[in-house]
Amino acid sequence: MSEVEETLKRIQSHKGVIGVIIVNTEGIPIRTTLDNSTTVQYSGLIHQLSAKAKSVVRDIDPQNDLTFLRIRSKKNEIMIAPGCEYLLIVIQDDRGK
Amino acid sequence: MSDRKAELERKKAKLEMMRKERQEKERQKKLKEQTEDVKTQSSTSQSARDETDKLLQDLGIPPAGEVADKPPSEKDTESTDGSKEPTPHPTPTKVKSRQVKLAVARVSETNIPPKENVTYSKETQTANLEPLDRDGHGGLRHLCDGLSDTSSPSHRSKLGSYGSPRHYGSPRFHGSDTGFEWDDEFSYYDEVLVYDDDRRLDDDHEQDTESIDVSLSTGHPKMPHVEMVAPAHTAEDKPPVQVRELSEEEKDTILLSEDFRLFLSHSSRVIERALDEVDVDIDYSRSADDELANQDLAGERLKMNREFFDERWSKHRIVTSMDWSTQFPELLVASYSANEDAPHDPDGVALIWNSRFKKSTPEYVFHCQSAVMSTCFAKFHPNLVVGGTYSGQIVLWDNRVLKRTPIQRTPLSAAAHTHPVYCVNVVGTQNAHNLISVSTDGKMCSWSLDMLSQPQDCMELHQHKQSRAVNVTCFSFMSGDVNNFVVGSEDCSVYAACRHGSKAGVSEIFEGHQGPITGIDCHSVAGQIDFSPYFLTSSFDWTIKLWSIKDNKFIHSFEDNSDYVYDVQWSPIHPAVFASVDGMARLDLWNLNQDTEVPSASVSQDTGVALNHLRWHQNGHSIAVGDDMGKIYTYDVAESFANPKSDEWSRFVHTLQELRQHAAEREEDTTLAGLSSPLR
Repeated sequence: MSEVEETLKRIQSHKGVIGVIIVNTEGIPIRTTLDNSTTVQYSGLIHQLSAKAKSVVRDIDPQNDLTFLRIRSKKNEIMIAPGCEYLLIVIQDDRGK
Repeated sequence: MSDRKAELERKKAKLEMMRKERQEKERQKKLKEQTEDVKTQSSTSQSARDETDKLLQDLGIPPAGEVADKPPSEKDTESTDGSKEPTPHPTPTKVKSRQVKLAVARVSETNIPPKENVTYSKETQTANLEPLDRDGHGGLRHLCDGLSDTSSPSHRSKLGSYGSPRHYGSPRFHGSDTGFEWDDEFSYYDEVLVYDDDRRLDDDHEQDTESIDVSLSTGHPKMPHVEMVAPAHTAEDKPPVQVRELSEEEKDTILLSEDFRLFLSHSSRVIERALDEVDVDIDYSRSADDELANQDLAGERLKMNREFFDERWSKHRIVTSMDWSTQFPELLVASYSANEDAPHDPDGVALIWNSRFKKSTPEYVFHCQSAVMSTCFAKFHPNLVVGGTYSGQIVLWDNRVLKRTPIQRTPLSAAAHTHPVYCVNVVGTQNAHNLISVSTDGKMCSWSLDMLSQPQDCMELHQHKQSRAVNVTCFSFMSGDVNNFVVGSEDCSVYAACRHGSKAGVSEIFEGHQGPITGIDCHSVAGQIDFSPYFLTSSFDWTIKLWSIKDNKFIHSFEDNSDYVYDVQWSPIHPAVFASVDGMARLDLWNLNQDTEVPSASVSQDTGVALNHLRWHQNGHSIAVGDDMGKIYTYDVAESFANPKSDEWSRFVHTLQELRQHAAEREEDTTLAGLSSPLR
């Protein structure tokens, strides 16, 4: 438990990190550092996106699998690390540049 | 024979007569018809058909004539049927009343139904249609149109029992519907003629011709296209996924599950690497200022690159040793001593750092109960890390398991080490390698990594004459050798020793330092000339000394430092370059081909720390340096300085000769000066 907390704290302490969300396969947030509505919005949308991305990767090559998904936008960056049963989502600000 | 011939002649003549008669009759009939035609143009169905054909041909639909040929017969039957059997709908009767006059119009209209078809076929797309099947039916229908009249009455009644007439409007639809027999279609086709009749009246002619085209091209692959679209429409209306909220207990069980921890430990690493990897979309065409800044640094021979420090795990701990991974060249393992400020944290810590990603946290954290004095990667096992502890235990960590504590450890018994282990190393080849460890009581053990419960081999390192144990502080194997090695000791001496053979143990003693030896390193750069007998030592006496294994007097003493020299190591690629660190936080880079008196490059930290340990990266372009405050710095060595030129080997031979010469002169000087200044 403490290790989980430690890890999340460590990620959260990175420069520019706005929020960390962990979502399960059904798109239900398990752990979040953001407020409720934002979490629900992010987890719902990103869950769908990552499922789609996964299917794209697998359709192209059935032996392949999605390992990491990174969305860079003008304002921020969303990083998604999919596991078998969970998704780790980190939203990073524009690095204060 | 002759009368027979005559008979034949007679018959022929008779036939001729009959033919002529018939021709005459026909001609008369035609004449009569023509005159009749003038009076009543559209009285007969024959002329009507001709006319429609002509009309259709004008419109550019020649095949319509064929199709149009058939309906009239059906229409006839229809009309007779109608008279025999009263229909429930008013429209058919209406048709019947008009039938005599407007046969022409109806003929053309009989081909219209397929137009409806197009609209209906969209509805039927949800059903499982097989185009081949339908085509077969379509073909049959066309072939057997003529046969339909007989079966129509019974089907007529059947129609009445079915739903709306609109449903029967499309013969195609029926053809594809599995519930109907092939002969049913014809009858429905008949019905179609009736029902469509008045419904079609308001439709324009253009559409009619279109529909005819469609009906004729039943075997055309045009239809499947229409069907392909439909499933996509149905797929769109999926019920929205319900989002259920998990209870706190459920969340907690997930958080504690092994699965989750495994996932998190993996994905957090990935995320952290990605978090610091920010320069993906850098625009070089724009950032001219940065380029200039880089150029300023290009002149430097030593440039600080990274700093590895972890607030929780490395603060206030002394970096005791480091090792670069051979499998993953970007990984660096570092061991740390106990942190006296944090008595509740484990004494010994080993961290794996990643130099490739600009990630500020360690890749892996390992710890154990006793301070780790030495560490190394298990060269041939990419996942294992070895640690030698202050208590004498050798511990083994594995990064495949979630545990931070060792997966294996040696026993604390007289069979193994009972004193601090300052030296561990894995020597040998992929198939035959051992872990060698030496403790400060002079005990040297070799282990198999698969079994740490007892050492494979054990020997005591004793000084030659006295039976006093050698207090080993550092050791180094000769290049490419698993037998011969040199050790540095606390008693200011350096010893050469070997593991096997009749003379196993200490064989040679090298005296010259006046303080405990802190670091020792054998030359290991391959090249045209072998320099493997040469080794360097660093000591508390502020000096670094160069030795040859063949000579028990040092060749040269580098005396530029003004504090303890804590570590020294040859460059792995340049024969004449080595690096050293001292207590003044100075990192020196010596190139003996350039200068033997002062270092060629030097950087110092002005934070008042002491640099404790240094380790060249195997590529020879960067150096990791550890201090006594728990920080590790990596320095990049300028390419021009790190890479040897082809003549460096021969030049280094000259340099060594010169140094030997100087050493000989120095010896003479000391003998001349008499015994007034003994070394010890």
